[in-house]
Amino acid sequence: MTRGGVIHRVRTFLTAKVSWLRTVGRRVLGRTHGASSPGDLHARVTFRACVDAVIPTTPELADELGPEHVPGGNDVEVAEFLGVYVDDRVQIGLPNIRRDVDVVKPIANVLDSAALKLIARGDNEDEPNEERPVAFFEGTDVSADRIRDVAGPFARLSPRDRLRAIHVLDEIEAKITLPDGRFVEFDGGLVGQLVVGFPKLIYYSEWDGYPDPERMPFGQDHPNDPASVQGWQQTGFPGFTNGYACLRGYLGTEDGTLGSEDVWTTIDDHDGPPVGLFASPGRFRENEYDTDGYVEPYPEGGA
Amino acid sequence: MVDPEYDVVVVGAGGDGPVAAWKLAEAGLSVLILEAGPFHGNEKWPDPHGDPGAEASSDVDDLSGELLDEQFTTREFEMVNQLFFGPADEDRGIWTRKFPGDGAILQCAGVGGTTLHYTGCHPRAYPAAIDEQGHWPIDYADLLPYYRDVEELCDVQPAPVTAKEELFFRGAAAAGWELIDEMNVTSPGYRPQPNAIRRPDQRLHVDGDYDGEFTYPDVTGHTLGLGEIAGNPHPRGAPFEEKAKRASNVSFVPAAMRTGNVTVRPNAFAVDVTTETPLGDTPTATGVTFRDTWSGATTTVEAGVVVLAAGAIETPRLWLNADLPDEEWVGRGLTIHFGDNVMGLWDADDLETTLGKPTVDQHEGQNIAARFDYPGLGMLQTVGTTPGVGAILGFGASASGFAFQHDTEDAPWDTMGRLAGPDLKRLLSDYRRMLPVLVVSDDRPLKRNGVTVQNGAEDEHGPIPLVNYTPSEADRKRRDELAEIAAEILREAGASHVHRADSPPTALHLHSTMRMGKVVDEACEAYAVDRLFVADHSALANGVGGPNPTNTGQALAARTAERIVERHF
Repeated sequence: MTRGGVIHRVRTFLTAKVSWLRTVGRRVLGRTHGASSPGDLHARVTFRACVDAVIPTTPELADELGPEHVPGGNDVEVAEFLGVYVDDRVQIGLPNIRRDVDVVKPIANVLDSAALKLIARGDNEDEPNEERPVAFFEGTDVSADRIRDVAGPFARLSPRDRLRAIHVLDEIEAKITLPDGRFVEFDGGLVGQLVVGFPKLIYYSEWDGYPDPERMPFGQDHPNDPASVQGWQQTGFPGFTNGYACLRGYLGTEDGTLGSEDVWTTIDDHDGPPVGLFASPGRFRENEYDTDGYVEPYPEGGA
Repeated sequence: MVDPEYDVVVVGAGGDGPVAAWKLAEAGLSVLILEAGPFHGNEKWPDPHGDPGAEASSDVDDLSGELLDEQFTTREFEMVNQLFFGPADEDRGIWTRKFPGDGAILQCAGVGGTTLHYTGCHPRAYPAAIDEQGHWPIDYADLLPYYRDVEELCDVQPAPVTAKEELFFRGAAAAGWELIDEMNVTSPGYRPQPNAIRRPDQRLHVDGDYDGEFTYPDVTGHTLGLGEIAGNPHPRGAPFEEKAKRASNVSFVPAAMRTGNVTVRPNAFAVDVTTETPLGDTPTATGVTFRDTWSGATTTVEAGVVVLAAGAIETPRLWLNADLPDEEWVGRGLTIHFGDNVMGLWDADDLETTLGKPTVDQHEGQNIAARFDYPGLGMLQTVGTTPGVGAILGFGASASGFAFQHDTEDAPWDTMGRLAGPDLKRLLSDYRRMLPVLVVSDDRPLKRNGVTVQNGAEDEHGPIPLVNYTPSEADRKRRDELAEIAAEILREAGASHVHRADSPPTALHLHSTMRMGKVVDEACEAYAVDRLFVADHSALANGVGGPNPTNTGQALAARTAERIVERHF
């Protein structure tokens, strides 16, 4: 095959992956939704299902950790912002997905297809249940019937099975080596990183303290009050500050160049000169060096 | 105002380009630096993400600490998104790349480049990585005078110790490792980070009862409130050049502008390198074409020498998208310090015994101030993170699924993989009793790993970078051994729970895609194009052994600038 032919095949492969992202769930489900948007209810239900699995509401933690640990991501609408964030800011790194193409809906469809694959394998530990997604919307005005109607198989799984379905995507890998040695890879785990990693970044950051958390934080003031951020209440993060008086000193030894002046505490006094924390940093030593004895612990191509 | 012609055009105002510009300008050459992102802390751009502002800046008096205070809020979610590699216009998303595997690329756009996010860590390469691994055509000794230049201008010094570093050092010592006090590291051990961050005021000692403001001029130097990853404007109130973290925008950019020979042109994405082939053989670089990221207008500037310093992704991308010779190693040999995240959690009573208080408080101090070196394997470093970044780095991404899917009975860690559900909330409720350790391995340059482009996968600047990376079996073993050492150190420090992320390939450090000896010669001039030089981490012949690469990239850029003057002016 010519190099041009191989490149064409690679391009076709990558484009096909994008097409797969966009359409596979739709084909599998036999459903055609309108133009995707963060407000699309199927996508919203699916994203809420992700957030519920990753950062759930946890009444069981009230006695163990305190009442502030009960609310979860859906109580502050992380899923809705995740939709805005993924569509407006983030390209998932695949060719032909440009800023003007929504990716929320394709991701939701991919998660449904992963759920179906999990079920087909018999790897789900709990039976899907159409009432589960209804619970994600407790306290909202979205009707239960409407949720049951649009919820896909992913949202009907139990929380652990949803995570297992996300892991199904981790297994999707493709690597193609070109005749000239270059190679191109694709990894379905990217979807999981988006729907597992990003909710954590959003939830535990300062995000829900902004006056308008439905849009990006740029230009918004922030109260920097731990009480205003649910994630901070649950981590004990005290908010951003200009500084702390928390200096303990500088690592060093009395007879070395690192560390000087008074010793505040000793770190190690087993063998050799005691290592401690000193009042001043001292300096690193501009040492002579000899690499002749270098041994490669794990040689390339070695065992 | 950008002139039609300069002695040298430098593509990229990241960590390394301004170093080359500074040296070239000190030699009396006229230099234009093109930067794809915005210019923060400059009075020519009072609203750099909301308004196009002026065209260029060449006066050091344009720099404003007050504006930097305003623009670098230190709020993690806002700043991570603000600085991430994308156009200045905040209404637009980031620039598209295909990530390596299921990982990510963490780079910034803007004057200062990824040093806007970096944590100030400025160790040298391991000498053996240069002299013994067979990748470099020059010796480690060749870099020493340039290291010293860079370290002096950046105020590199041993990092201060707060509770989190003390805990790590106690664990490393208890595990039997030795303290290293050397600049040129040849054996394993622990040491404070050589950080390009000015030391904190001595009055901030924990026993000092300081109750004043943490702003300039009440205090100078670092204020021990993290902030490096979010840009770090501390101490607030300080003039631009008195900011504690010596990112290249604070160190080398002012030094370069002060010569009077340098113009910085932000919001300028280079899309082509122009050449002439007067003798019909090797082409000669004659200039650069760039696109204004706000207006879309393109401009071509002529140059006696062109220096590519756009980083290990964009420099090969520009070469591949320009009409330059088809060179075998362009874009190949990518190293990313294939890494991992291991963290310890402590019981309050144990911390009280060890540290005299019930918390680690990773949000205090400098982000990264303690390290462990192991030439041949790589390094470990403690990482104080704010909770959002910490949650995604430590628990949000894994190459091995979720923690509940792993049996860790015989492993050195209690849990491994992504955490989710009540388990995640329980662990993060201990955020203040948690210490993350970043595993950074000495991965090696493999021809299969790197940057390619394909027509059809394009953005407004041409075909996008397709970044592919799969570590070798030996790379995995180096990383695994380092992760085990990290777990042992945390256990010896008294951790009651150790978690390993098994992170996917996440590119924090990117190098060796335009390698010296393969694409560029010993002066970093391209073999295939005269008067075209590379002065960024892509010219590094390997991953420098695992230490943070900024110092080596900058030292090499300083050396390259001298070679440019010697050869062409």
